[in-house]
Amino acid sequence: MDLIYGIVTGVLFGVLLQRSEVIRYDRQLGALLLKDMTIVKFMLTTVLVGMVGVHILVDLGLAKLSIKPLILGGTVLGGLLFGAGWGLLGYCPGTSGGALGEGRLDALAGIAGMLVGAGLFAEAYPMLKTSVLTWGVYGKVTLPQLMDRHHWVLIPWFCLLGYALLRWLHKRGL
Amino acid sequence: MSEGTRGKPWNPYIAGALAGLLLVLSVWVAGKYFGASTTFVRAAGMVEQTVAAERVATMPYFMKETPKVDWQWMFVVGIVLGSCAASLLSGTFKVQAVPDRFAARFGPGVGRRFGVAFVGGVVAMFGARLADG
Repeated sequence: MDLIYGIVTGVLFGVLLQRSEVIRYDRQLGALLLKDMTIVKFMLTTVLVGMVGVHILVDLGLAKLSIKPLILGGTVLGGLLFGAGWGLLGYCPGTSGGALGEGRLDALAGIAGMLVGAGLFAEAYPMLKTSVLTWGVYGKVTLPQLMDRHHWVLIPWFCLLGYALLRWLHKRGL
Repeated sequence: MSEGTRGKPWNPYIAGALAGLLLVLSVWVAGKYFGASTTFVRAAGMVEQTVAAERVATMPYFMKETPKVDWQWMFVVGIVLGSCAASLLSGTFKVQAVPDRFAARFGPGVGRRFGVAFVGGVVAMFGARLADG
C-alpha cells in the first residue's frame, strides 16, 4: 500500500512541479542568481501551507512530526556542498527526475552523478560518523522548544514573515 | 482550455499551495513526508549489489538505508511520470540536452553540460546526505 501511495503522490507532485516550471534548469539557476524567484514562491507557499496543515494534524493526534537531529557539522558542511553542487547541476534530487520526465537529457548526467555521490557517501560514512557528524550535536530540537513558545504562537509569525517576503519579491518584479 | 493558454505556466503560489495540501494529505493518509535523496542511496546500493552484494551487506550506511524500493522510491518514480504526462498533455515536452541559460553562458557543447551536471550531481548528493536532507 505504501508503494501505491508513493507513486500516486509522486505523480500529482510531478504535475504541479512541471506545470509551474519549477523543475527547469533556467528557473533554478534564476533563483540562485536572484533573478527569477518562481521556485522560492512555490517552495515558500508549500512550506507555509504544510506547516499549518501538519500542525493541525499533530494537534488532532492524526500525525507525528518527523524531526531530524541537529548536527551542525553535517548541516553546515553538507549545506555548503549541496549548494555548490546544485549551482553546477541546476536540479535538486527530486526535480532532476521531473526534468528528465519533460525531456531534459542533461538531468540523466545529473542523476548518474547523484548515484555516484550517494555511493561515495556510503563509503565515507564510517569515517564521517566519528568526525564531522560529532561536531555540534544538539539532538531533535524544534524552534518552539528553543524559543520556549507554543507552536501556535510562532506559526502566525512565520506566515507573516513569509507573506512579507513574497510581497517584497512581487513588488520588485522577481 | 484553449490552445493559447495550454502551455502557459501555472501560478507558482497556487501550485505551491496545492503541493502543500498534497503534503498534508500524504502525512495524514500515508504518514509520509516528502523527500528524494534517500532514494538515491537505496538505488546506488541496488546498483552496487549487482557487482558486490556481500560488500554492500556489510556497509553501515547501506545497513541504515537498505537498498530496497519503498514509499519514497515510488514517489521519485511518480515525479518522473507525472512530469512526463503533464508536459506531453500541455505541449511543453521538449527533448533538450543543454538548457538555454547554460548555452547562453557556456556554449552549446553537450559534453561540457553533461560533465558539469555529473560533477554537480556528485557534489550535491554527497552534501545532501551529509546534511541528512
